[in-house]
Amino acid sequence: MSTLIYLSSSPYSSNTIKEALDLALVFGTFEQSISIAITGDALALLIASQTPTVRQGKHLFKLLDGLEFYDIENIYVKQDEIAKLAIETWPGVSPLAQESWLNMLDKYSDIYHF
Amino acid sequence: MNYSLFITGSPTSSKACHTALDFAEAVVQNSTHTLSGVFFYEEAVSVANALAMPPRDECNIRDEWMQFAQKHSIPLYVCIAAALRRGELNEAEAKRHEVHHHNLASGFQLEGLGSLLSLTLESDRTVRFK
Repeated sequence: MSTLIYLSSSPYSSNTIKEALDLALVFGTFEQSISIAITGDALALLIASQTPTVRQGKHLFKLLDGLEFYDIENIYVKQDEIAKLAIETWPGVSPLAQESWLNMLDKYSDIYHF
Repeated sequence: MNYSLFITGSPTSSKACHTALDFAEAVVQNSTHTLSGVFFYEEAVSVANALAMPPRDECNIRDEWMQFAQKHSIPLYVCIAAALRRGELNEAEAKRHEVHHHNLASGFQLEGLGSLLSLTLESDRTVRFK
């Protein structure tokens, strides 16, 4: 089974992204092949200068460096979206052009969209 | 085909739990299909709140899931972390957190996300309702 966690929700407007990352980490713990795709509002997760308060939610950016310990090494973003951010972002992503993005989606047997 | 269901939509602000139950009933009515189990995550865990009391002339989706599960011996898993975050506890969790009340409806069981993985691995298809 190859699983893609597809994130498009805003990271701090609800618990959705936190619970999506929890799902990714648990599946990784069980040695499943997990990748993550980040697009749309979820891209805010990658902004290095984010400083959420406790009331806004857990500091999700800090979780990103730990993904490799769960063998989650493929973190996909869309090339044009990440370029438009024009701000320092987490460096561990793999930017894909639109066609590669679509081909990437085809590779996974299970996709969980949050 | 063997299915499992993964439900994340709120039982009050979406129809995810309702359409999932329609789907589940269709699966068990078809002799060529089976349903391994149902996993509730995110806002969907609220379906298992025993203290939610919809008006009597409206659908009680919690009770409908309980009756369906009992009739067809289908396990209803509720993510334990998502449930605790939203104030849903079974008796054991109430004791562990030293609170006097628990409100997980009978027929539902608190499980970790590993149970979702197990369901997914034993199913041909996992269908998501959000």
